[in-house]
Amino acid sequence: MTAREIVLKTKDVAAGYGGGDIISNISIDVEEGQIFTVIGPNGSGKSTFIKVLAGLLHTRVGGISIKDEQITPLAAPERVAKGLAYVPQEYNVFPNLTINENLRVSTEFLKRDRCATGEQRERVLNMFPEIATRLTLRAGHLSGGQRQMLAFACAMMAAPVVLLLDEPSAGLSPKFVAEIFDRIKAVNRTGLTVVMIEQNVKEALRIADTVMVLVNGATRLSVPASEIGSTHDLHKLFLG
Amino acid sequence: MTAQYIFNGFVSGMILALPAVALTLIYGILKFPNFASGAMLTVGAYLALIFNVYLGMPLLWAAIIGSLIFALIAVGIDQAVFRQLRERTAITLLVCSMGVSFVLENIARFIFGNGARSYDLAIARPKHFFGLRINNEQIITAATAVAAMIVVYFILRHTALGRAMRAVADNPSLAAVRGVRRESIVRWTWAITGTLTAVAGVLAGMDRAIDPLLGWNYIVSTFAAAILGGLGNPVGAVIGALTVGVVEETSTLFIPPNYRQVVSFLAIALLLILRPQGLLGAAKIKK
Repeated sequence: MTAREIVLKTKDVAAGYGGGDIISNISIDVEEGQIFTVIGPNGSGKSTFIKVLAGLLHTRVGGISIKDEQITPLAAPERVAKGLAYVPQEYNVFPNLTINENLRVSTEFLKRDRCATGEQRERVLNMFPEIATRLTLRAGHLSGGQRQMLAFACAMMAAPVVLLLDEPSAGLSPKFVAEIFDRIKAVNRTGLTVVMIEQNVKEALRIADTVMVLVNGATRLSVPASEIGSTHDLHKLFLG
Repeated sequence: MTAQYIFNGFVSGMILALPAVALTLIYGILKFPNFASGAMLTVGAYLALIFNVYLGMPLLWAAIIGSLIFALIAVGIDQAVFRQLRERTAITLLVCSMGVSFVLENIARFIFGNGARSYDLAIARPKHFFGLRINNEQIITAATAVAAMIVVYFILRHTALGRAMRAVADNPSLAAVRGVRRESIVRWTWAITGTLTAVAGVLAGMDRAIDPLLGWNYIVSTFAAAILGGLGNPVGAVIGALTVGVVEETSTLFIPPNYRQVVSFLAIALLLILRPQGLLGAAKIKK
């Protein structure tokens, strides 16, 4: 079997707010086409880690590269241009812009190679038919699940190399949760690499290829998802 | 008689609409009420005065050149002052804008003195339509303000810059992860608001004498207009400005003209009690 290309790599990353570090020594290798899921108890630093990847929080120590290109010093807008798309947990659409405007503003300020072509826009709208028919509706009038779909669609418009998802099931009704994860898997099947942090461990493990367990800001375990249930006890990993 | 007051109020409201929209744009993007908008209006009026009176240009060209220069000055003020305090609270930035206001006003006083000045503008006979007495300056004011409003509306609704400005106003962090560089949008916002405020300065200078306190005649009414329309809402600011203009002007039928700004204070007070989000405030979706 030939090894797949590493598209996103972090090496000994440390970051935090104020005085201390929230996360430290985080090293990951995400292979092309993978769903890489980060799980862990509340306060373990999952959101901090994904914000560091997205460029919303400064990396104090260590490095981040995408396809062997260093992106550590780059701010969030420059990282989008390099192929990192990020969907925040909440406030992930512009409520006072229409669906169409949300989609347009997602790539208008990127370089030409990431600027959505008509073909890319068509492909994205086909993936998310529930928003395609309501382009003139203001995003603030959408339900939580529909907003999540729009947020995915906006991120996909830039034809990213890696999609970063911050708790995609947070705040959604149970009915939508399975649908959201199915949709993430469908997006992943198109060849897109996904890095996701998630509280809903059961659903997340259903679609994940690799799982990293983060506890107290440090990596406790990083294994193929298939090994988690059989070889490791999640309760013990989470609690001590 | 009353119709004349309403018409005059409408024209005054159009002058107010420009700084009110500028105020609301800055509030939307940077989340602070820019108290310096009055002094910025004054400096805009003086810049046009330099090109019109001292360099002998027609007022139209003087206004265009003066406004473009002031757009650059506004960006410069942001870079030198407000950018250093970008992540501070709205109160800190409000106080800072008061400082900027006093500095600008006193630079104008230092260069031009305290005396009143006026533009070199040909005097024309007023026209009469349906019993209304309409002078040349009022026609120029109305045409300029309407044109400026159309341009701003077009930028906000139909250009990439406008979409990005509204996106940054909605959620700056999300805009950043969509590839929008906030600082670039902030600079464009200051350039647009600087232009609007300087144009308002020229229109104000055509309406009354230019002196270092010119902007103080408009600052309360500008805030009243922006708050009335719902701070952060440009369309609301225009409606608020026209309302304040008409109400202030017609109030002089009942109270001495010197007290007309009391009406603006009353409007702010009543609105904050009855409808704190402003007339169109509810139309904006917070979450």
